[in-house]
Amino acid sequence: MRAREAINLLAQQRGDAVCALGMAANEWWGATRSEDSFYMHGAMGFAASFALGLALSLPQANVWLINADGSLCMNLGCLLTEASEAARNLKHFVLANGVYQTVGALPMVNDGRTDYAAIARAAGFARARTIDSLDELKQQLPAIAAEDGPSFTVLRVEPERSFLRTPPMTYEGPEMKYRFGRALERRFGIEVFGPQGY
Amino acid sequence: MDVTAQIHEQLTKIGVKLAASLPDDWVAPLIEKIAADNQIRHVRVAREAEAIAICSGAFFGGVRAVALMGATGLLTCTGELATLNLRHQIPVFLIVSQRGSIDDHRIYQEVQGRRTIPLLHTYDFPYHVVDRREEIASIPDAFESCRLQKRPFVLFLTRRLVKGEGGTT
Repeated sequence: MRAREAINLLAQQRGDAVCALGMAANEWWGATRSEDSFYMHGAMGFAASFALGLALSLPQANVWLINADGSLCMNLGCLLTEASEAARNLKHFVLANGVYQTVGALPMVNDGRTDYAAIARAAGFARARTIDSLDELKQQLPAIAAEDGPSFTVLRVEPERSFLRTPPMTYEGPEMKYRFGRALERRFGIEVFGPQGY
Repeated sequence: MDVTAQIHEQLTKIGVKLAASLPDDWVAPLIEKIAADNQIRHVRVAREAEAIAICSGAFFGGVRAVALMGATGLLTCTGELATLNLRHQIPVFLIVSQRGSIDDHRIYQEVQGRRTIPLLHTYDFPYHVVDRREEIASIPDAFESCRLQKRPFVLFLTRRLVKGEGGTT
């Protein structure tokens, strides 16, 4: 399965989910152009924790985290925290290609032998699985989208060399904060920013 | 009312509804006080930078949050504070024990004592030191300042405050 195919399928079936993204951010932007997604290029590994904080503070939102294996390994402890907090509205997807894609597909630690779903199960996730093909993802995704979180789904994708050519979103930094925050304010009737805009 | 209860009272006054923590022994009593409060969602993390990102996510859920840790933990998450919070101007309020002060006679804390505040100056992260009981009432102003300045803000708790003049640890 190719990463872009997997992301396109997730994008088609995310429904009303709010998304937080790690290194798959550019691909997600290409597929969705969505402002109710937080595209996190910095703090590698911690989109998972960001998504958890969002899910806990906004229980009426479905939160999907689109993570990657390199990012997950930067913050494997997030699985313990996620399992412990058991947010029913949080789904964690991991695009696993075994390489650091954005720097030229250099191999990752442990050379593809790591079973991330097994680690998640051992951390306490009741729902953790690995999906190897697009057909399997097509078949399973509706049920994954409908089930309660926390869930953990590894999407095994092929390493590629074209990620760097995917253009990033056309805004960043403070503008991303305000676009994302305002999108959530509109959708959920919450107050992210105060009356003076900060 | 003890110091821990006073700080907790100020957090309640601010409207804090989420706290993420990794304990240092100076802030441990405050963490347990917060954990016992069923009006605050308390998240125990495995690494301090998780607490930073959890509080950042909570900001977008419209929830007031605090991250609690020791000075050593603060040093471990400067990269995340810079590339997530500084870059996007996301406020995050940290309550941190000011380890390595002249009255902290732990050899493994002395580098933190000399380097933590210069590091905050380098990153241009504001901070406020609470050294005495009567200064605890300044916490709501510190929290508001954090939101105004739209960046990480460190509230340091000193040994004198949390351990008292006669403390032995």
